[in-house]
Order: sequence, then C-alpha cells, then structure tokens
Amino acid sequence: MKIKKGFILRVVGGENVVVPVGELSKQFHGMINLNETGAFMWKFFSEEHTIEEAIDALCAEYEVERERAAADVQKFADVLIQNAFIE
Amino acid sequence: MMPEKQTIEQVLFDKGVYIGPTVGISMLPMLKNRRDTIVVQAKTERLKPLDVALYKRGDAYVLHRVLEVKEKGYIIRGDNCYTDEQVPEESVIGVLTEFFRKNKHFYCTDEKYLKYVKRRLKYYKPRRFFVLCKSYVRAGIKKVLRIFRIKK
Repeated sequence: MKIKKGFILRVVGGENVVVPVGELSKQFHGMINLNETGAFMWKFFSEEHTIEEAIDALCAEYEVERERAAADVQKFADVLIQNAFIE
Repeated sequence: MMPEKQTIEQVLFDKGVYIGPTVGISMLPMLKNRRDTIVVQAKTERLKPLDVALYKRGDAYVLHRVLEVKEKGYIIRGDNCYTDEQVPEESVIGVLTEFFRKNKHFYCTDEKYLKYVKRRLKYYKPRRFFVLCKSYVRAGIKKVLRIFRIKK
C-alpha cells in the first residue's frame, strides 16, 4: 500500500497538515489534518509498505500494544482507501 | 488520527486558518501555480497595505495584494497583474500569514519577504511599461506577418 504522489505534508504552527500539489490539487480541494501518529503513518505509507509492516513500525515508534496498533493502522488505512489516497 | 476534508470557507470559519495549494499565476513570482502552499488566517481586523488578501469574486477565491485601504474596502492587485481592483470589505475573508515556496517556509513578517514586496511595488511602473511594449511589439510582428502572408 502506498499513498498517491501529489500530497505534501507541511508543519504549520506545530500542526501536521497534508495538502495537494500539482495535478492532484485539481481533484482534491482542502486540507487534511493529522495528529502526530497520523503524520507518522502518512510518512510511512509514502513508501510502499504492507499493513503488517506499519503495525510493526507503529509498535516500535510508540511502544503501544500490538492489538491497539493494529486497530489504529487498519482505521487509518480504511480512511486512505475510502478517500482514494492510495495508488 | 482520522483525516478530515473541508472547504476553504468551512476551514476558515471552523479553525480560523486555511492551508492549501496555490492556483493561478497572478501572484508570480512569489507563488507558483499548484506548486506552493499558502497559510491564510481568517480576517479578524482590517487589512493593511502590503497584506495579501484572500477574497471572494463570485464563486472564485482570489489571493491578491492590498495596495490601498479605502473607507469601505481595498484597492488590490496581484503581484503579476497590471490592473487594480476595488474590493469591498465584506468580500475579504482572510489574510496570508505564511507560505511555502517550493519547500521553503516564509512568514509574511520576514524581513526578506518584506524586501521582496517593496521591490516588487517599486518597479511596478517600469515592469508595466516593459510588458506593454512587449505586447505592442508582439501585436506589430503578428500584423506584419499577416500582411506578408496576404501578399504571398
């Protein structure tokens, strides 16, 4: 799973915001607000990775239980898929 | 963690700040079409000269620079435009406070940025003269070519 090219993650006033650039900004208007974990996942899925790899990365980064990390990653992946942010 | 999608007006109303892509060429060379990112704060007070206003023209959003503050609005012009526009106060919904040019982050209070703005305005007349001359020369060349083609 990999996020489409054409999104840029900006940090403004300590907030993580994803905005579209280039051709993608013709189809997608507005901005996506992410918390720290969301921004971590966004950067992680900017490269090709599986959900299992994302769960491992989240556990390693934040020392959370695997079950909770799996639920969070799945929820995040579902949002990416629903909004067609995936290549 | 859930990403959420909103429109410019909703974002300004709900959060007080909009962060998004630039569209159009009217603020060149500062902002390039669909490459750069703008940070616009909702308007809380009257804008000042040199501020960059986000305003509504019909259904479209326009981001241009304030040149003069009038009693009921502003005289506004894009950095890459050659005509001024009168914009009523109520059409202005936000003001540019930061922007990302390529990947460089600028604040509208930065000294370097303010120098650029002053330089851009200082050389407006010679630039307009140059652009006008260029368009006359182009039109002249087209005319000559057309006559030449007719004669052929």
